[in-house]
Amino acid sequence: MSEEILFDCLHSQIVNYCLNVNKTAPESFTSQTQPPEKEKDLSTLEYIGYTTGYRLIERLTREVPRFKDELETMKFVCTDFWTAIFKKQVDNLRTNHQGVYVLQDNAFRFLTRISPGTKQLEHAPKYVAFTCGLIRGSLANLGISSTVTAEVQSIPSCKFHVQVSRN
Amino acid sequence: MFPLLSHRNHSNMATCIAIIGKDNTPLYLAISDMDKELDLQYRVHAALDVIEEKCSSSTKMNIESKELYLGLLYSTDNQKIYGYITNTKVKFIVVVDSGNVALKESEIRTMFRNLHILYTDAICNPLFSPGEPITSKKFDKCVRNILERQ
Amino acid sequence: MSRQNTRLDQKKVNTELLTLAYGSFVTQILHDQNLNIDEVNKNLERIGYNIGLRLIEDFLSRTAAPRCLEMRETADRIQQAFRIYLNIQPAITNWSSSSDEFSLIFENNPLIDFVELPPEFSNLRYSAIICGCIRGALEMVQQEVQCFLVQDQLKSDSCTEIRVKFIRRLEDAIPAGED
Repeated sequence: MSEEILFDCLHSQIVNYCLNVNKTAPESFTSQTQPPEKEKDLSTLEYIGYTTGYRLIERLTREVPRFKDELETMKFVCTDFWTAIFKKQVDNLRTNHQGVYVLQDNAFRFLTRISPGTKQLEHAPKYVAFTCGLIRGSLANLGISSTVTAEVQSIPSCKFHVQVSRN
Repeated sequence: MFPLLSHRNHSNMATCIAIIGKDNTPLYLAISDMDKELDLQYRVHAALDVIEEKCSSSTKMNIESKELYLGLLYSTDNQKIYGYITNTKVKFIVVVDSGNVALKESEIRTMFRNLHILYTDAICNPLFSPGEPITSKKFDKCVRNILERQ
Repeated sequence: MSRQNTRLDQKKVNTELLTLAYGSFVTQILHDQNLNIDEVNKNLERIGYNIGLRLIEDFLSRTAAPRCLEMRETADRIQQAFRIYLNIQPAITNWSSSSDEFSLIFENNPLIDFVELPPEFSNLRYSAIICGCIRGALEMVQQEVQCFLVQDQLKSDSCTEIRVKFIRRLEDAIPAGED
């Protein structure tokens, strides 16, 4: 699909940008007291996803009837929203009914172009951070505050863990 | 309270359009007659309470209505107050002159839909921070068009 | 939810995802560059350039287009690419007398759909990514061009105009790259 490749290109540029933007700082700055650079880069990447998701969900829920509860909201994000963006359904969606939801995608879009292998696994976090933010931002605007993390055990499969914050 | 004299221009579609954020902070307010500002703000405030009630009790009772359009919230001798809520818990409130009998329900619905589209586009501006009051001139102009449409 | 498919219009969602992600990205760069607009413009152009390097591969395999011998053919291909990737059709106009320079006129541009620039960002070339993309793509097919915004709807021009100017044909098949 033509519009898919364009977004894939943009996504990989966002990833590259976020991972390189702090590299220009002199070496001496990277003392041990500072948070690891990598985490900072990933949080920028996640934040770009967050602000994107926050806005996007506003548009996508315009024609949708009011959600009655958290489960219905989660279902919308994990099925309709997911399918529209990733062109496939989530392979597995589970919940413990206590605010933990696990989405499993066995061929996650941003991991399918990476050659599988344990060597590549260390690079996996940068290909999933934007999407973690995308989910967190969408849910936040729908009134669900959460923490979203991703777990990649073998490329291109990925599990997203959504932990709803109760307060 | 002294009675409102109906000397104003009847052709306005609405007398007030308000947008209230998810945390109940006002995001935007357009009023056709500034003399009535206080009165209208009071109406909007009261409308929020009605919306709150409608939406919180809807968990089990109001299964019939899952629409974003909440319909007539309440009316006074002179005004009718309508409401709408987005899935992101942003509230739109429109105050209409009761004397405007020609105004159909379907027109009110259309007005809300258009407002919703305008609002969504406004917050999609990447240089706008969601949750802040909407100050876009373009947005204001479009909403005022809705307000003053005949 | 038994539905196999989504209730959403996938094509529309993907265009909006692109538009909004790009907007968030630009905002992040503005923040990182401490609002140094010139630096931001350079960044956006370079990001576009990198995308162009990759996109041309897809374009060539998709269209099986033969090598362009003159600038008018190149212009048509660029127009075709906009149709494929952004579903828009810019007009090709304002050819120079020597036929090595032309303009692309955009009446709509999904990238700027919701953008409103505050006065302090009046120098921001929000669509510079497109210029970079054209430059990068053409470099991969041995054409060095200059590409820049002449008119910009974000600055209340009635359309967006991008000027493409042929500089020279590159002899080496391998571009220097700026990645």
